[in-house]
Amino acid sequence: MPLAKALDDLQAFLGERLSTAKPDLDAHGLSESYFAPAPPDAVAWPETTEEVSRILQICARHGVPVTGYGAGTSLEAQAQALQGGVTVDFARMNRVLTLRPADMDVTVQPGVTREALNEELRATGLFFPVDPGANATIGGMAMTRASGTTTVRYGTMRDNVMGFEAVLADGRVIRTGSRARKTAAGYDLTALLVGSEGTLALVTEITLRLHGIPESISAGICAFPDMASAVNAVMDTIQMGIPLARIEFVCRETARAFNAYAGSNMAALPHLLVEFHGSPESVAQDAARFAEIVADHGGSEFQWSSNTEDRTALWAMRHNGYYAILASRPGARAIVTDICVPISQLARAVEETQADIAASGIPGPILGHVGDGNFHAILLIDPENTDDLDRAKALSTGMAERALALGGTCTGEHGVGIGKKAFMTAEHGEAWSIMGDLKIALDPGNILNPGKLVPGN
Amino acid sequence: MPDALAQLADLLGPRLVTTEADRRLHGQNETWYPETLPSAVAYPETTEEVSAILKICHAKSLPVTAYGAASSLEGQHLALNGGLCLDMARMNRLLSVTPEDLLCVVQPGITRKRLNEELRATGLFFSVDPGADASLGGMAATRASGTTAVRYGTIRENILGLEVVLADGTVIRTGSHARKSATGYDLTHLMIGSEGTLGIITEMTVRLHGQPEAVAAATCRFGSVEEAVNCVILTIQSGIPMARIELLDQFMVRGFNLYSKSALPEVPHLFLEFHGSSAAVAEQMASFGEIAEEFGVSGWQTATQAEERNALWAMRHNAHYASAALGAGAGGGHVWPTDTCVPISRLAEAVTWAQEKTVEMGLTATIVGHVGDGNFHVGLSVDPEDKAVMARAESFAHALGEKALSLGGTVSGEHGIGIGKQHFMADEHGTAVATMRAIKTALDPTNILNPGKLLPPA
Repeated sequence: MPLAKALDDLQAFLGERLSTAKPDLDAHGLSESYFAPAPPDAVAWPETTEEVSRILQICARHGVPVTGYGAGTSLEAQAQALQGGVTVDFARMNRVLTLRPADMDVTVQPGVTREALNEELRATGLFFPVDPGANATIGGMAMTRASGTTTVRYGTMRDNVMGFEAVLADGRVIRTGSRARKTAAGYDLTALLVGSEGTLALVTEITLRLHGIPESISAGICAFPDMASAVNAVMDTIQMGIPLARIEFVCRETARAFNAYAGSNMAALPHLLVEFHGSPESVAQDAARFAEIVADHGGSEFQWSSNTEDRTALWAMRHNGYYAILASRPGARAIVTDICVPISQLARAVEETQADIAASGIPGPILGHVGDGNFHAILLIDPENTDDLDRAKALSTGMAERALALGGTCTGEHGVGIGKKAFMTAEHGEAWSIMGDLKIALDPGNILNPGKLVPGN
Repeated sequence: MPDALAQLADLLGPRLVTTEADRRLHGQNETWYPETLPSAVAYPETTEEVSAILKICHAKSLPVTAYGAASSLEGQHLALNGGLCLDMARMNRLLSVTPEDLLCVVQPGITRKRLNEELRATGLFFSVDPGADASLGGMAATRASGTTAVRYGTIRENILGLEVVLADGTVIRTGSHARKSATGYDLTHLMIGSEGTLGIITEMTVRLHGQPEAVAAATCRFGSVEEAVNCVILTIQSGIPMARIELLDQFMVRGFNLYSKSALPEVPHLFLEFHGSSAAVAEQMASFGEIAEEFGVSGWQTATQAEERNALWAMRHNAHYASAALGAGAGGGHVWPTDTCVPISRLAEAVTWAQEKTVEMGLTATIVGHVGDGNFHVGLSVDPEDKAVMARAESFAHALGEKALSLGGTVSGEHGIGIGKQHFMADEHGTAVATMRAIKTALDPTNILNPGKLLPPA
């Protein structure tokens, strides 16, 4: 009844931009990973902050859940409407609002995707660096504290969001942060909202830090006799202060999957894929120093190139890693893990994980953003086989526990959603209930993305 | 209240002090705020003690104000409502260093210089440098930054996690030793900059950086502040990775000459530092030099020896005292600090506006700034007894804050809000102040943690 009344009120001002048609609901209830569909009762496509505010006022009044929706690429069901209600799809709030090249910042609406943003930035000589692989929306990336291949150089979303306009659960609009490069004025609400997965507010504007497109980019690849050598080479590189822009690890199974999927010709060995940004002299120098480290660790000759086509091919292969791995077991579905550990513990974490995976009998190629200590095992399960799912979940739990024991975290970049809630007490102890207190303080009616991230809702 | 102090005395023995001398010592500040005495000073040695102290204070509604090196500039450590001053001096250890992860774990009472001394043999250093030899706990709580933030970030970018004791004595851990995490609300960054109003920091995981292979410092002069700032703007926009880039106006230079007995020509200067490989440092200096030429640079002097560099930065770090010295001649002696930070493209406008305005208002003032971040300080010489000068200083500081906000900036780049900047909170944050208040109420419902700071009166 409250729902019907709320939908009437919403329909009154959104008109056709509120849908209760089954195909729309179904499309918004899906997840990229193994979670069961969870469709909302309605989908709204607001066009302005004022409309988002009205939607929240109405939903707050009627106690109707509200879930933000960007590109639907999140991996922990953050965009699924677990308790029904209204999904707010930001597809129509996808504009680049103000670009300020002189300050190297830009204000965008949450629905713009990172590729669309970089397309618009092309003529300025600036770019937005955070690159999770998927063509996610900026709003979704901010809300899940996304990162990816370039984080080792340019940071995560937390480091690249300067401020928000956000609509609170009761419809009030706030602004956080500043366009100054730093501020010490008051609580850091910007950092509080980044990674809050739509449970504290819906963001309607985001101010991002931009970076100059480097004068020269070089990228290359090298193989190692074993995983530990590759990881040790990464550690040495970071400690020597060689400024890596990207450094990605792929295991031998992933290399094989690349060969089969992308027609590459990689040895069936662990590899590092590396990129350097800088002046032509500095990238050549960085590559040369890196090559020495690789040789010290028994790696193959480091083959690199500043040629754009070569680089693009390399990173396209990496970004298609998920699909290449998926294709290596026809008909399989994937459970993707996301642990992140201190870099000194990385070799151990990967080795032990590989041993567990081998013992489980489930294929689980590994690839990762090793400069950050973050790696993913893609556990390939037969969807018809419940035993597979159980074993994959057990592996995933084992990995999370290992990460915590090694001083790390159960999720480096995918977020909590529903899939990682089980580890929150182990990771945060009492601090998880403090997160719950903050949630209640800002969303007392628990209408914002209920069922995600915090305890007990 | 005496009841609470009796319980605390039972808990801490001689480490709870109520002598007037000690209370008076903890009631001083670096700026012009009047002496403000706590009721007692506690010197905890462990997290468990901090937790036990807060349980008592929570039960008895006794205010608690944390105290580090007392170098804050907005009175953050002053016990405005009396109550307990929690001096973290005895929790000052470096607990562990993990060089391969470029991090260390410290207690909050350790000062930045002490930490860097202890790190010397590792080839690593802690980068954040606010000038004063502040404690790390204080730096985290005020979101400090300083001369090196342009290259290495503020304390915000250099803390991976915290152990925090909440108002009711609950101990929480935030963050992890991993370089990034997407698990839940970022309590680490909620605590950083909260000025002791949300919790008491008892342990910190701190990011370290490799000592650069080569370091070179330089000074140079410009015909006007505007030319110096425009040189900075273009330098930053060109992506030259400056390690330090500091502006000093002609009045600040005069202050240095008075206080540090230097003999610099009294014109605007930039003080610079370059970090990297020898080749990179040479390349950066050459690139900067080309830009500086466009703005009429002169008097270029470099310092590659550690002693020369140290002397240069010691002079810079004494800016606060040099400003006071400059004012002392004019009947001042105290400094009213400002701390605006603006987007880099508006920096020249902001700085020239500030300089002209101080002259117009007849204020004795210096300008010094971490201009690579868009942050600058106008140090106004004041005599707290001189009501007319205090009124003019207040009026200028307010106008400057509003100017920064109108340019898309902030009233505080690094000093924090404390007592002195609360009146700007509504102007800078609007409706978000209510959100901050809701957070404060959720975490400290009885308002015992540093009451009277950061949030303006409701």
